[in-house]
Amino acid sequence: MKFLMLLFQFIFIYGFFFLGQLLRELFSIPLPASIIGFMLMFAALLLKLVPLRFVDSTATLLLSFLPLFFIPATVGVIEYLDVFTGKGFFLIVVIIFSTLLTMAASGSTSQYLGRRIEARKEQK
Amino acid sequence: MMSDLLVAFFFIGFTFAAYFLMNLLYLRFHFSFLMPALTATFIIVLFLLMTGTSYETYMTGGQWVDSFMGPAVVALAIPLYKQRKLLFDNLVPVLSGILVGVVIGMASGITLAKLFGFSRTLILSLLPKSITTPVAMEVTEQLGGIPSLAAVFVMIAGFSGIIVGPAFLKLLRIETPIGIGMGLGASAHGIGTAKALEYGAQEASVSSVAMSLSAVIGSFLAPVFVWFFFL
Repeated sequence: MKFLMLLFQFIFIYGFFFLGQLLRELFSIPLPASIIGFMLMFAALLLKLVPLRFVDSTATLLLSFLPLFFIPATVGVIEYLDVFTGKGFFLIVVIIFSTLLTMAASGSTSQYLGRRIEARKEQK
Repeated sequence: MMSDLLVAFFFIGFTFAAYFLMNLLYLRFHFSFLMPALTATFIIVLFLLMTGTSYETYMTGGQWVDSFMGPAVVALAIPLYKQRKLLFDNLVPVLSGILVGVVIGMASGITLAKLFGFSRTLILSLLPKSITTPVAMEVTEQLGGIPSLAAVFVMIAGFSGIIVGPAFLKLLRIETPIGIGMGLGASAHGIGTAKALEYGAQEASVSSVAMSLSAVIGSFLAPVFVWFFFL
């Protein structure tokens, strides 16, 4: 019974992904189908078109296995192992440097604006 | 025909087994470099190399596991919905942090990679490195990069974010839950969010919101960056 419910919910979630694919094809939207599906699902939840309990348990289950699902695609790196030899080392340097810049920029922006809004609230 | 099916089943089973065994190892020692996404991939790659099996053959089974990736991204809307109060209460700081993070992350990635003279294909694969893996792969594929390389670059971004991150955040005096959560989630996606949980529930919530929305904003902006930098 529990299994049937999970299966049904999964088909329902899959439907949103399928709808994302369909819309992407129909209107040639330059976004990943999964992101279109994600936005539709978020909107449906906010608008109460889909009750949370209807998707909650399957979504939690799916997300706990998320790393498993992208292993096959990652294994594809086997065809590009030469990228990481020689000059490829600098790719890693670029990624580390750019990641830290991202962290500094996003973290300090949110902290600064968060504090400013807090301060303004206290003044009132 | 029959043997093709057996091969497919074997690789489905192998992928699951590698994942679950490595997950047990990770749960036992909780060391970042033992994350199953990294170790299980390593084991499978090693197995394919040692047995001389092609990726194509592996994917006869692997594609079945792969097909859950899209619906799992859709499922990310559920935790975001559960965090909606946090999101709407801090809409300006959260959205600004994500937007700045995506812009700086992509612009610096392209600029640095161009400086080192890397090919267009590599730059396109590196562009979504701060976006959660399944979305990064789709974004890269759409732009003409190599999804599996994107996955590896995303992993490198994640690991550098959590290894250097804590000391770096301290150095920059980023100390509020919203600052820490945003910094980790917007740069190191899921891996960063796992780290944010060590700081506290609030940091982790901000980080998971940052991760989901960075994926959305990043997939909107990636094609714009490609156009802007004349890639």
